[in-house]
Amino acid sequence: MSKIELRGVGKAYGATLALRRGDLSIDAGEVHVLIGSNGSGKSTLCKILAGSVRPDGGEILIDGRPVTIGGPRAARGHGIGIFYQELSLARHRSVAENICLPDLPATRAGFVDRDALEKRAARYIALFAAVAGEDFSAETTVDNLRADQRQLVEIMKALATEAPVLIFDEPTSALDRAQVDRFFEILRGLKAEGRSIIFISHRMDEIFAIGDRVTVIRDGETVGTEKITETNPAAVIRLMVGAQDELAPGHAAPPAAAAADRSPVLSVRALAGKGFANVGFEVARGEILGFGGLHGQGQSSVLRAVFGVNPVGSGEIVLDGKPFAASNPREAIRRGLAYVSGDRGRDGVISGRPILENVTPIHFLRQKLRLARPAALAERVRPALEALHTKFGGLAHPINSLSGGNQQKIVIARWLIDRPDVLLLDDPTKGIDLSAKTDLFTLIRKLAAEGMGIVLYSSEDAELLNNADRILVFNGGQVRRELTGADRTRYNLYQAAYEAA
Amino acid sequence: MATATLSTTRSGGLKRLVERYPFLPALLIALVLLALNGLYQPRSVSFIGITGLVKTYLALMMLAIAQTYVVYAGDIDLSAGAIVSLVNVVIVVLMEKMGGSGFSVVAALGIGLLAGLACGVVNGLVVAALRLQAIVATFATSIFFTGLALYVMPVAGTPAPAAFWRTYGGRFFDIPFVFYAVIILAVVLYVLARTRLSTQLLAVGDDAQAAFQSGLPVTRIRIQGYALCGLFAALAAFCITGDTASGDPLVGGKMTLFSVAAVVLGGSALSGGYGTVVGSIIGALIIGLINSLVFFVGTPSEWQNLVQGLAILVALMAGVLVGRRARA
Repeated sequence: MSKIELRGVGKAYGATLALRRGDLSIDAGEVHVLIGSNGSGKSTLCKILAGSVRPDGGEILIDGRPVTIGGPRAARGHGIGIFYQELSLARHRSVAENICLPDLPATRAGFVDRDALEKRAARYIALFAAVAGEDFSAETTVDNLRADQRQLVEIMKALATEAPVLIFDEPTSALDRAQVDRFFEILRGLKAEGRSIIFISHRMDEIFAIGDRVTVIRDGETVGTEKITETNPAAVIRLMVGAQDELAPGHAAPPAAAAADRSPVLSVRALAGKGFANVGFEVARGEILGFGGLHGQGQSSVLRAVFGVNPVGSGEIVLDGKPFAASNPREAIRRGLAYVSGDRGRDGVISGRPILENVTPIHFLRQKLRLARPAALAERVRPALEALHTKFGGLAHPINSLSGGNQQKIVIARWLIDRPDVLLLDDPTKGIDLSAKTDLFTLIRKLAAEGMGIVLYSSEDAELLNNADRILVFNGGQVRRELTGADRTRYNLYQAAYEAA
Repeated sequence: MATATLSTTRSGGLKRLVERYPFLPALLIALVLLALNGLYQPRSVSFIGITGLVKTYLALMMLAIAQTYVVYAGDIDLSAGAIVSLVNVVIVVLMEKMGGSGFSVVAALGIGLLAGLACGVVNGLVVAALRLQAIVATFATSIFFTGLALYVMPVAGTPAPAAFWRTYGGRFFDIPFVFYAVIILAVVLYVLARTRLSTQLLAVGDDAQAAFQSGLPVTRIRIQGYALCGLFAALAAFCITGDTASGDPLVGGKMTLFSVAAVVLGGSALSGGYGTVVGSIIGALIIGLINSLVFFVGTPSEWQNLVQGLAILVALMAGVLVGRRARA
């Protein structure tokens, strides 16, 4: 009998389906790997099990008995402990306090039992003593720790629950080799004790090093479970890709442009900064260069560094034949760069202001306008908005009255009045509807055809495969592989993204 | 090179010190203000002068402590002053009704504590259980509590019985009562700092979502924070009643934002997760010392508010600068 079984568990946030049908069955004494591409629903599944997300439907059985998990405390009561991908640490509290936080040991009078707390924390800190680093101690506050050390604290916190079922949602993303090896030793020990472990990782070598079985989730649905000994990385990737592979370079894919005969408008050599290193690429006029790979592998960081949002550590950027190093976005805009982010709230819309004001800030900056004459501006704005089929009531309406897709069109339109040379797109279609996406990509391809250089990072693989002339696959802050021509398949994309360095 | 390494190790030590005791910058400012007070009015730093200062500002210290526990969790209580007013009039009216004997005083104080606790729990329920915005919700309850206070005592002026304020202002074994109160307070705070609740409040203030996901009962913890705030607001009311010796349904209103200022002056983060009650006490002292300093340097009365305001701004800036320098 399975230790834990999930049957048809689903969760929707508004119109977004995070998990369609999650099925999972975990035995005692196994390490069960979950794998799936960005946004396929792995984390949602784990959070449902850990009680921090309430499912819309489905059944959860523990030891064969159906249970409802009302919240994180209830989950702990059912013997489930979890490592959260985004960590759940209190950053001003010490390492020891964080490890014991869910269940602070208390004396009979209700005070924190410092001795017991330190003793309990020391037990878990000792597990990683050799690999945690010299400056790691029980008294250090979490915000003085490095990213890998924080991740270790979250691991210790999960271990300290001593739960029979432990969930690890990407616990190794910041760890170095030695730390991962130590962690795996500990996991094997837990397995030998008969505990059940759910393990999520994007590194294929880790999955095959530690897993007993692997379950693949695709588009919010469990598509299959295999024994690790009876499968191989290629087969797992094929399961993740599914039947979609034939569609991949489909109808709309542009011909692989012969970039050689066109002059590069933007070239980047050996660029390094926070979150990426040794990144080099060239974009020609009229070319769409895709950035692919898993979420957060440095794609956004590179784009933001080029645009002058984040500082560049080292490397060289050449724009239109001249060296370029923007220290801020204003400078980048003046030199003819454009940047559109999928995070509209942070980088895009000027909330609460009229549409007209939202379309014109770049125009103002580039033309050094001092006074706003709405009538004259409206003349210049309309063609840009019409090019995108933007639906809006009037230019004086606040931007918040529009849907997400139309807001994003407004944000893009602001770059169309004075044409930039290079357009940097940072996951531009996040959270917008299908028809807006179609309009957007039609425009992007038209802009490319008219000679603009375009860099497109998208977390949706189909968008990349259908639109990019070349795809650079990022992994761990570096470009791992370049896919051109007929190589641009979903299979190759996944393989490069999931294969460890 | 040698000097550079020296300075980094020294600032590293300082950084650790300030991290461990976030109220150090505030303590420094308080000492400077105390010295200035002594410079302009030597008698103000005498035993009697200090006694007077503590007697007058013990209420604000209590209210600053009350506010701290709420701020720990990233919340705020704008009704703290109104709770002071309500408890003030409740205990004065009760003492008067029961005849003003020693027993009646103790009984009235007990009921006062319960009233403060009840107000705190109401705030906690409104903010944490009903999930209303803390600023607006406690602003609303502050009006509500003030309304209750006005119902209990429509006009200020009912005197508190002599047994009560004579004790508060009196001496035992030649030591003023307020110093005993301060010592008891120190013990209570020491004990409270060691409870699970303190750590849990701070953890909630750091990241409520993370605390929830860790399995902490976040709603209950926040309600308990407000309840503690209500209790200390009641204690603040006792102090103010001892100091003014009368009931006034509006006495605490203007103290609310002073208590918030004291918390910030004491080095706590309004966003939660970081701070100390000792800092808030020092913050309240800073405000008291500024007020007396403004008086001692002979500021014309029509300018006193303006100078006080400026001085608090300067103290805030100094605290931020010292703290930043030390932590850099």
